[in-house]
Amino acid sequence: MSILPSRRTVLRGLLAGSAVSVGLPILECTLGPNGRAFADGGLLPRRFGLFFWGNGMLPDRWNPTTSGEGDAWELSEQLAGLASVKDVINVITNMQVRMPNTIPHWTGTYGLLSGIIPIGEEGNHTCSGPTIDQIIAAELGGETIFRSIEAGARPGGGGGVSFNGPHSNNPAESSPTALFERIFGANFIEPGSDGQVDPKIALRRSVLDAVLDQSNDLRGRVGAADKARLDQHMDGIRDLELRLGRLEEDPPDLAACVLPDEPPPDETYATIRESHRVISDLLVMALACDQTRIFSNQLTHPIDNYLWPGTDRGHHQLTHDEPDPQPQVHEIVLQIVDDFRYFVEALRAVPEGDGTLLDNMAVLATSGISLGRTHSLDEFPLLTAGSCCGALKTNVHYRASSPENASKVILTMMRAMGMLVNSFGEGDAETTDTLSAIET
Amino acid sequence: MNQRFLGLLGLGALFVAVSCRPPAPEIEPGEPTLRRLTEAQYVNSAHDLLGEDVFVPTGMEPDTRITGLLALGAGQTALSPRGVENFEAAAYALAEQAMEPGRAEALLPCSPSGTVDAACAEQFIEEFGRRAWRRPLTADEVGPLVDVATNAADVLESFEDGLEFAIASLLMAPHFLYRTELGEADPEGRWDRRFSGYEVASRLSFTLWNTTPDDELLDAAEAGDLDDDALLLAQVERLMADPRARAGLSAWISDMLHLADLDDLEKDPSTFVYVTDTLGQAARTETLMGFEALAFDDEGDLRELATSRRTFVDRELAALYDLSAPAREGFGEYVHPDESLRIGLLGQASFLALNSHPVSTSPTLRGKFLQEVLLCRTLPGPPADVDTSIPEPTEDAPTLRDRVLRHLEDPACAGCHEVMDPMGLGLENFDGIGRFRTHDEGALIDASGDLDGVDFDGPLSLAQAIHDNDDFAPCLVKTFVRYSGGRREVFGELEGLDWLSGEFAFRKHRLGPLVENLTLSPLFRQAGALDVDTEPDEGEAE
Repeated sequence: MSILPSRRTVLRGLLAGSAVSVGLPILECTLGPNGRAFADGGLLPRRFGLFFWGNGMLPDRWNPTTSGEGDAWELSEQLAGLASVKDVINVITNMQVRMPNTIPHWTGTYGLLSGIIPIGEEGNHTCSGPTIDQIIAAELGGETIFRSIEAGARPGGGGGVSFNGPHSNNPAESSPTALFERIFGANFIEPGSDGQVDPKIALRRSVLDAVLDQSNDLRGRVGAADKARLDQHMDGIRDLELRLGRLEEDPPDLAACVLPDEPPPDETYATIRESHRVISDLLVMALACDQTRIFSNQLTHPIDNYLWPGTDRGHHQLTHDEPDPQPQVHEIVLQIVDDFRYFVEALRAVPEGDGTLLDNMAVLATSGISLGRTHSLDEFPLLTAGSCCGALKTNVHYRASSPENASKVILTMMRAMGMLVNSFGEGDAETTDTLSAIET
Repeated sequence: MNQRFLGLLGLGALFVAVSCRPPAPEIEPGEPTLRRLTEAQYVNSAHDLLGEDVFVPTGMEPDTRITGLLALGAGQTALSPRGVENFEAAAYALAEQAMEPGRAEALLPCSPSGTVDAACAEQFIEEFGRRAWRRPLTADEVGPLVDVATNAADVLESFEDGLEFAIASLLMAPHFLYRTELGEADPEGRWDRRFSGYEVASRLSFTLWNTTPDDELLDAAEAGDLDDDALLLAQVERLMADPRARAGLSAWISDMLHLADLDDLEKDPSTFVYVTDTLGQAARTETLMGFEALAFDDEGDLRELATSRRTFVDRELAALYDLSAPAREGFGEYVHPDESLRIGLLGQASFLALNSHPVSTSPTLRGKFLQEVLLCRTLPGPPADVDTSIPEPTEDAPTLRDRVLRHLEDPACAGCHEVMDPMGLGLENFDGIGRFRTHDEGALIDASGDLDGVDFDGPLSLAQAIHDNDDFAPCLVKTFVRYSGGRREVFGELEGLDWLSGEFAFRKHRLGPLVENLTLSPLFRQAGALDVDTEPDEGEAE
């Protein structure tokens, strides 16, 4: 009898979080940032993604008390749920986001991810530059159908953490159905099949050309701020043109890529933990199918008052009002950590080359603050997962002996992705150093 | 002629009403900004262009609130790549429906002579394009669109299928997705720059109807009527008399009061037994029906938004408010009796629930909202690195008033909390979704406080204190001007705002005169200079 699962079975295995084993030809990671892989049995690409949650954690119970590599360190009380993935993650502690904390929750979010002090004040703030995912996407996102994919479990605008620049947010898709449609809907081409020769694709591209010309005419008549906005819009149009071009190419033939089943309707999820797991599964398969190489997976917004299962007040309210030792806040952090564990396991369950999808990527998990009650930017929560094609060590707890600049972690991610950059961040947040403790 | 006659009547009314009044002062307007259509404006425009029965996709790109208004976010945010993708898909979804049998005949001004009929395509693109882009297309703009249509018709072997691509192109164009009210040199020399007739048409229509201009307004623009005070007033009066003005101006109130957030209400059903999935929607309807009745049916004083005893409730809200439902189905009018503490916006579930936590009230959030939204005051966020915890209820200090006292004891907190917490504590008789209560944690609620030196004790006197506050009516005016202009006022416009507030008070704070005074004034019609030669800084748009 056959022991090879059907594609549907593979997917069900993945959705249940269990490992599946399907052989792939042995492939190697790309050496540089621009290698195109797969289709011809060539090189595997590196991927990068963010895992973000709001309202921070409790540093005293988050930070492991031992540090080092491998067996030299043990998980902390709040991170204990990561035991099954300890060997593929890193914990980095005693890092700080070095900028004036003028917009609680947002200074840390924007500041860490862009390295620049945010613009504005409460009620009217924005990220001053592109966030790390988009900086990397600008270098590495051009090869796939989607330059990047932003998804998150919480609806509502204004809460997305991915930015192209000031007032240029990439909203996170919070509907599993819409996310499925976008990635695996009508435009999805099964791996191994021929590219679409639908004549409408060429017509759509000619329409986009016309729209670009119209946009250019308008661009000449507007002020400087609007020029920047139209430039962003036009980048999006060019991006879409490229994507349509890719639809006419043969898709990469990837054994681990299977068309997922359509997710349950949006209104059927009792908690965001349920919808978030489906979103995580869809992101995993989007990566396995090489639909994108860059993503952000957002559990909650930087300020989020979600009523978590098992708690009696909204998360944000609890972080401020609950007396020490904040047992309910702790309970929420444990759930968040468990959701991160789920995502890491799902990435690790996809075989790729002689390893797993997770081996060929770096995930940075973080929040917008550390201790919620004081909106602290010290002891910032920072986790990574994946060895990024061997560029990163794993199973390390690095604890800085004195507070260090959190930008170092971002620069380390950029370098691990193969980007040739020497510094990240501005002002006090600028760094030219990476974290050698997690680099190979 | 009839229209001009009405316009002259309007001019007469204007002279009678304002001839003794100070004229609008000269202003130096700020730089105009492109405004992306809000989701509601996109939906309304699509329906106006293609018919009420077309399906219009939503959720393409979230509206973003900046400085309190989605209208200001529409003038500052850039479209994401995902948004571009979604608007492209939406454009094709609409174009396909436009060319469905039944609708295509109604939209096409000509019968195509064959699969490829460039002349008919051109005629359609000119007519439909003028409505979609809110101005006539230039020959340079029409040409490429005709090429798109004929090329596609040739490939797909169908005139209508080909035209779909031209329609989609029009509907994903920046000229449709953005309101391009950029101004022109004023040929009459009244000002340096003014908004053109078509731009004024767009400003009027989106401000008053929250949708694209109708054919009559575009025709008025084409005829030059909107550059003329009397004929402009006639159009303002026509738009205000149309039922669409109710929903259109409700969009202003909805934006100001953040009523869109009622879609995402987060309430714990075990704490609040009256909460349902439809509560947010019902609460929004109550607030907007109250506004419409006050502003349109009564032509009343808009400050009564704070103090009106008349409201509109359905069975769900009636149960929440503990009163007998005035209508078996839908919403009915209800007047709160004298002994009730429920009054105006402050007694409505929309405001009360939005500015509360999922399981409790928040005097701080409620007070902050009243200060910022109704009185236009700016409060900084909490300083970072401050311990924001409040004590749990104890026997000696059970109520929220007792527990947030610590905000006022710490001088670092008191500066702001002194102006926020007392107003919110004045509303502690309404729980986190707006149900009335007399006790908090078993202790009688003390709802006394003061607003700018005026003492209040509970919702009734707090509502009156807001109604009487010198900042309330000017705040409504300022918010309306920001909403209609899509940007914050600049220094050179402050005198104009003061004048508008003075006229608002003189005309008994009624909506109609406010709209007329604004739309005829330079605040609405004069355009600021555009800094077109500056290239944007890399990575910094501001």
